[in-house]
Amino acid sequence: MSEEQIKSPQEEAPKLGEAGEHPLSVLLFSWIRNKLAFRIIMALVAALGAVLIAFEIVVSKRPVTNLLTVPGFYGIFGFLAFSVAVLSGWPLGKLLRRPEDYYDTRSGEAGRDR
Amino acid sequence: MTVERLLDLGAAINPGFHLIIAALLAAVAKDTFTRAVALIGGPALALLVMLYPPVAGVEVSREMFLGFQLSLYRPDSLSLIFGLGFVLAAALGGVYSLHRRDRMQDAAGLVYAGSALGAIFAGDLITLVIFAEVATVASALLVFAARTGPAYHAGLRFLTIQFAAGLLLTAGAALYGLEKGTFLIADLGGLWNGLLVGIVDPASAGGMLIFAGVGIKAAFPLVHNWLTDSYPNTTETGAVVLSPYTTTMAVYLLARFFAGYDPLIWIGAAMTVYPVFFAVMENDLRKVLAYSTNNQIGFMVCAVGIGSTLSINGAAAHAVAHIVFKGLLFMTMGAIKLRVGTTKASELGGLHRTMPWTTLACLVGSVSISALPFFAGYTSKTMIMTAAESGPGMLIVWLMLLFASAGVLEHSGIKIPFMAFFSHDSGKRPEEAPFNMLLAMGLSAGLCLVIGIYPGWFYALLPFPDQALEFLAQDLVSTAHIIQQLQLLVFAVLAFMILWRLKLYPAERPGVIIDIEWLWRKGAPEAGPALAKPMRAGARILAGLASIVIGRMQMAARQVFASDGLVSRKVPLSATAILALCILGLVMLVSLFQ
Repeated sequence: MSEEQIKSPQEEAPKLGEAGEHPLSVLLFSWIRNKLAFRIIMALVAALGAVLIAFEIVVSKRPVTNLLTVPGFYGIFGFLAFSVAVLSGWPLGKLLRRPEDYYDTRSGEAGRDR
Repeated sequence: MTVERLLDLGAAINPGFHLIIAALLAAVAKDTFTRAVALIGGPALALLVMLYPPVAGVEVSREMFLGFQLSLYRPDSLSLIFGLGFVLAAALGGVYSLHRRDRMQDAAGLVYAGSALGAIFAGDLITLVIFAEVATVASALLVFAARTGPAYHAGLRFLTIQFAAGLLLTAGAALYGLEKGTFLIADLGGLWNGLLVGIVDPASAGGMLIFAGVGIKAAFPLVHNWLTDSYPNTTETGAVVLSPYTTTMAVYLLARFFAGYDPLIWIGAAMTVYPVFFAVMENDLRKVLAYSTNNQIGFMVCAVGIGSTLSINGAAAHAVAHIVFKGLLFMTMGAIKLRVGTTKASELGGLHRTMPWTTLACLVGSVSISALPFFAGYTSKTMIMTAAESGPGMLIVWLMLLFASAGVLEHSGIKIPFMAFFSHDSGKRPEEAPFNMLLAMGLSAGLCLVIGIYPGWFYALLPFPDQALEFLAQDLVSTAHIIQQLQLLVFAVLAFMILWRLKLYPAERPGVIIDIEWLWRKGAPEAGPALAKPMRAGARILAGLASIVIGRMQMAARQVFASDGLVSRKVPLSATAILALCILGLVMLVSLFQ
């Protein structure tokens, strides 16, 4: 069987739902598997963020007295705080992650097949 | 006897006893109907007598025990709101557990709920301590209920730490009660804004011990691992039943005894922050939820420390809302545990295809805990954030809470639903959860929405209802608050999407994350053998030195005292006379200068 024949089913346009998928999942979630869905949601989220900052500038009546009262402070803080929390997972994971049987073994045996 | 008379009789008894009696029925129930009557009817009866008649602030029963006056049932607006959360949790947990025919777990769950309920309605320290200890034993049975090796060991660790907390609480209560000459809560302190809160002096010896005991039960930093160790090792229903009570009861006790105690502000703020980092790394999603519980309890502890009417309302509201949405999240993970056999993120993904109802319930729980406006978490947490923001000198604490809010979105708002139900396709196609589980999840999700959309009835039940309703009218749904919260969440979601897209989001990997528990699970057991070797070497050196010194001493003694030794030798008479003269001269000199 040629490589093209093997690949061909995967190259077809994504179908609505999959074999055996729950009808509710087809209705609510199958669109998520579209390749463009992630990008579209990301663009919508970014646009919503911009609208919220613009709305805050228009609606907010409090004077800007310090950093906390600058329009968009909550958005920028949320972005940075989330990024710090997630990115900390890389160094902390290296420092603190151990094999699954770490607590079940004596010293020096962690990770070995027994 | 009329129904009214029966209700009068029932309403005079601490509602915790109703659940404990229901537990007796559950222990002998052989068919599903009887189990349902016990598991759902018990909490329903407790709720009925709790609300009938409204007796807040009145001591319903007083007894004498070993010469001490006891008050078995003393409801007020603080205990009522926590009690409402407990009976809701018991009923929802009952519905959720119906598919699992395990009488031990049914009975232990009801005794646990009943004793926790009994503790918060107790009007004296002795009754409180007894209920709290019964709750400890019952909760340990729920950990053991998985009947696996890891669960057995986790249960033993859980019992050890909880008994230590119980001992501290008992010793503290005894000392404090004897010092004050009464164990009655109503006599320990005065009313503050019409409510008995902050009534224990934390500077006294008894107060310190109570604080330490309650602190362990609240999973304060460094003593929090009983929580993250036990919940993931229970059955699929065990974590749902375990999650609402011990930590929430501790929050109630902190509010009752230590409201306004400043160190709680920092302890709570620290509790909100550090679990965020552990939850990011953790692979087991039920453990992620346990860290998330730690984080959410931190918000409540901080609010109790602030000690204003707004913050205590916030702590109580968040305690109940947290019971509902965290219970819901544990339910969805329990459904996965039942159907897939694991909740490790590295083995999950794409489950929405066959478990869409569970996915939907999880999404509702996630947005609720993330405090999206018009969901339960927003209704409750906004009060805490507002109280922290408006407090003098609270900028750093407020920023810590704000950071933790973004962190909550990361681990409970995104990681839990995304890694389990979406993300990469694990290829697993499990069956949807059983009907009773879906029903419990649906009811919990409905409650999240009802609390979020119609908060008025909920606020009317808070410890200081007038202030709560005032906050509802002026602040809760103000444009500023909603925009700020939406900004925080929307930009955090954007950060997630960018990091995911750039493959900077850490991949879920199998493994355990070591925490402070390392000290007693690994450090201490290995310290003995590790220290023994150098100590043996040291002992050998010391023994060698000792034998050399003793040998030399023996030799010297032999030289001096042997038959031909120094003291046995014959000396000339003149030498003896000179020695005697020297001694005499020395004595004369001493006497001369004295």
